[in-house]
Amino acid sequence: MEYDYLKQKKILLVDDEAQLRDMVVSILTQEGYTRVRTAGSVQEALEAAEEWKPEFAVLDVMLPDGDGFALLEKLRKMADIPVLFLTARGEDEDKFRGFGLGADDYVVKPFLPKELLFRIAAVLRRSYKEETTGVRLAACEIDFARAEVLRGEQRLPLTAKEFELLSVLYRNAGRIVTIDGLCEAAWGDNPYGYENSLMAHIRRIREKIEENPSKPVSLLTVKGLGYKLVLRQ
Amino acid sequence: MKKTLRLIKRFLLLVIIIIPVLFALNLALFVTFTWRERSGNGGWEAARELGRELITDDDGNLHLSQTGEQILTEYHAWGILVEDGTGDVIWHSGNLPEEIPLHYSAAEISWYTRGYIEDYPTTAGARGDDLVILGHPKDAYWKLMWNTFDYYAIAEMPKLLLSFLGMNGTLIFLLYMILATRILRSVKPVVEGMEALPAEAVYIRERGFLAEVAAAVNRVSEKLRAQERALRKKENARAGWISGVSHDIRTPLSMVMGYAAELEEDAALPEEARKKARVIRLQSQKMKNLVGDLNLASKLEYQMQPVKKETLNLTALLRQAAADFMNLDPEGRYPVSFRCDEKAKKCTLQGDRGLLLRAVYNVLNNSQLHNPQGCSISIQLQAESQTAQIRIEDDGVGISEEQLKNLTDTPHYLMGSGSGLQRHGLGLLIVRQIAAVHGGQVRIGHGSSGGFLVEIILDLSDSVSDIRI
Repeated sequence: MEYDYLKQKKILLVDDEAQLRDMVVSILTQEGYTRVRTAGSVQEALEAAEEWKPEFAVLDVMLPDGDGFALLEKLRKMADIPVLFLTARGEDEDKFRGFGLGADDYVVKPFLPKELLFRIAAVLRRSYKEETTGVRLAACEIDFARAEVLRGEQRLPLTAKEFELLSVLYRNAGRIVTIDGLCEAAWGDNPYGYENSLMAHIRRIREKIEENPSKPVSLLTVKGLGYKLVLRQ
Repeated sequence: MKKTLRLIKRFLLLVIIIIPVLFALNLALFVTFTWRERSGNGGWEAARELGRELITDDDGNLHLSQTGEQILTEYHAWGILVEDGTGDVIWHSGNLPEEIPLHYSAAEISWYTRGYIEDYPTTAGARGDDLVILGHPKDAYWKLMWNTFDYYAIAEMPKLLLSFLGMNGTLIFLLYMILATRILRSVKPVVEGMEALPAEAVYIRERGFLAEVAAAVNRVSEKLRAQERALRKKENARAGWISGVSHDIRTPLSMVMGYAAELEEDAALPEEARKKARVIRLQSQKMKNLVGDLNLASKLEYQMQPVKKETLNLTALLRQAAADFMNLDPEGRYPVSFRCDEKAKKCTLQGDRGLLLRAVYNVLNNSQLHNPQGCSISIQLQAESQTAQIRIEDDGVGISEEQLKNLTDTPHYLMGSGSGLQRHGLGLLIVRQIAAVHGGQVRIGHGSSGGFLVEIILDLSDSVSDIRI
């Protein structure tokens, strides 16, 4: 797998429900994450963080001795690690919307294992992107650290916009990223009206990464909606 | 309040009209009653007549005729005839009281004819040079002895009367105004309080002559507020309870869903077992949606869901909803296509992003729920100047006329028996609620290819027309 190194990251899972912890651990280990630790309370979590220095935390909002938001603040004081919240309250979505709390993402219970894995992977890719090298596609490899596409011996540099677009697509690999989401990533907060420019950039990216740009297999169009980057499994 | 003032003005006018009417009525009554009295002429005419009825017979003696006797009887009076020159009484009626003198000097005559003889009021008349005096019963008349008016006073009389009238009127008006103002001052807070009562809590100072009414209004207000609080508390409790239940279900459901999904993927298991795991996973996903819907529906129903409106690009929002939906459908059994015209691409509205996403997502989910065999869904956005129309239709099994009627007519799920839940879910109700929050509406029907069609019509009028290029 191309992001195996991300699976070496130390993940701290904090939830007061032992059986849920077991399940999430099982989901993570099956996916290939090898270094997972659990904690059932704020206290335990802080101790584990102190001693073990996790690189990623999955936190429940409701804990027996406090809430996940307070725990997040304390963890962030120790180290600036990415955090994903697990919440059982639909209402919490409001709090997370806009991620004003500094959380990187949230998943509302109940969740499908795939959904959780995808979110964790996306946050990890985003947080440790400087370590992201050699993402393998059908016809090439993308070196995000150097902003280059490797095709055999050939190295094709990516422009800033192409790099931004590919980064967003990569973080959401296997999923549709909407036209608006891509425009926003490349052109900022006021992204409307850039659709034609986006199409031009996508065409140029395809010329760099696809075997046959007119029959793309890695960077797929979802008509009317957006684009999807398919990694080589 | 204005109404009350108008009422008081009308009342004042009525009083002002009543005063002259009363005055006129009194005058009429006075005239009617005195007219009859006047015709009697106070016995003066009778005295003259009596003189005419005194007849000198052949012997030179005086006799009263039959008519004369009648006059005396009619007036219960006695009569005398005083001779000119001598002052002697030369004739008197039979009923002459003893105390009446039978001789009069000129001074006595002037005095007695003007007033009384021994307290008998008199009237007098001439008979030739002689004088007829009629003595009436003591309680018959009151005589004005010095009845002299100077012309100046009489000439001034209308003026005087008018000024009396004017002063009286002014006094009545002033008194009335003072009273009315006082009443108004007491009534005003009470009326205002009662008018405000349905909307807000009211307290009126309990003083003045309407203190009791004010106290009653205060009691009603207190009671209303208490009921409102109780109702609100009840609603909060209900929504809180639903929220609590949905929260408590989520964690166990996570495990059902998580493990079922794992088992479904487990290649080591027999195909049959994996199929069963798939059913569990799908059903638990339905439960997840139901739990979320129930919570949101109750919150929207009780207005406990905060609505945070911001300027949204509808196209981006719809694409996001469609992409999110398709991302959770890795097998691609429910492809969503999106179409909109150039105008609609720039269409923005003030809306709650999370809620609108949820509405679209619920419609998509509904198509998935009713079409387990898979179906394609199309989303179309059309923008008019004031409204935006989101058309979401699938090519699945659609809906029968009867079901459509049920879905349209069924009362609110929180009011009704809730029997519609199983088939239609809360999903569409939430879509309706969310549309309502945004001043829009929802229409359901048959799609062009026989599938299910949902149209969400949103009002753009209060939105900033923000065209960003």
